Amino acid sequence: MVDIEDLKSKFLNQDFDAKEFVLDAEKIVTVAKASGETRAEFTDPEHPDFHAPPAFLCSLASGRHLPIDFPSLGGIPMDGGKAITIHAPVRAGQKLVGRTHLHDIYDKKGRSGRMILIVARMELYDENDAHLATADSRMVIREKSD
Amino acid sequence: MHIWPLQIRAWSSGRSPISTTINTIHDVEFGAELPTFEPDTSLAQTSAFARAVGWGGGRGGRFEDHDRAREEGLPGALVPGIMGMGFLTTTIHQWSPHAVVEVIDTVFRAPMLADEPCIIGAVVTDIDEAEGLVELDMTLKNSADETRVFGTARVRLPK
Repeated sequence: MVDIEDLKSKFLNQDFDAKEFVLDAEKIVTVAKASGETRAEFTDPEHPDFHAPPAFLCSLASGRHLPIDFPSLGGIPMDGGKAITIHAPVRAGQKLVGRTHLHDIYDKKGRSGRMILIVARMELYDENDAHLATADSRMVIREKSD
Repeated sequence: MHIWPLQIRAWSSGRSPISTTINTIHDVEFGAELPTFEPDTSLAQTSAFARAVGWGGGRGGRFEDHDRAREEGLPGALVPGIMGMGFLTTTIHQWSPHAVVEVIDTVFRAPMLADEPCIIGAVVTDIDEAEGLVELDMTLKNSADETRVFGTARVRLPK
């Protein structure tokens, strides 16, 4: 059985990935419209407050979710959900960097065994290091029985 | 317009969803239900979304093509999970043209299939008039009344 506290002590709160982004206005519009959005702040690049909707920002956090030396827990990781906290509008053309660390590791026990949940957190900054958004990706791994 | 089972039309409590425009925090009632939203889950939309976020092509078969998705062992092409978050956000924006979503947290309980109708409902669970903040509980269900995505949102409104 995996020792959750041991994993936490070894892996939490250490950046293991950094990516640079420049958001594309056309892609922001496509994502917004496909989601049914009609507000001009998300669908009209000419709008003075045009910016990315939450789902688009969450998509930036879809890369590598585990440190390279993180042990295999047996099961296939499943996408358990996403959360985003937006501190400031994120605009097309802005240079961004997303830095990712593991924010939490915990387990839930059910009739089918133990599930291990891992929260990878990507913090999104602009080129002046202003914190714009925080995106959490929850991975769910069904622990392989011994 | 899809035909929904009675229990979904009534949503949860049987209270009528509010229909007045929400302009300020003072227009919000605790326990009020937001107008429901039935998004377009067609393959055209799931494909467009997947391609725009970089999930098109090879990996995107699961979002773009029912046959290719079935070859992967899926029941059909899927709606991308974060597109569900997009639907929830749109529900909030339709409720209030001035709402700013500060936090949205979604749990992907089960896959949503492309080309299958779904409906989003939400209820106001907390109001902080001094800060201009509203908390919402939100649910996305399919036409069998099965919850596929649920979540919460913190929304800022003008005071």
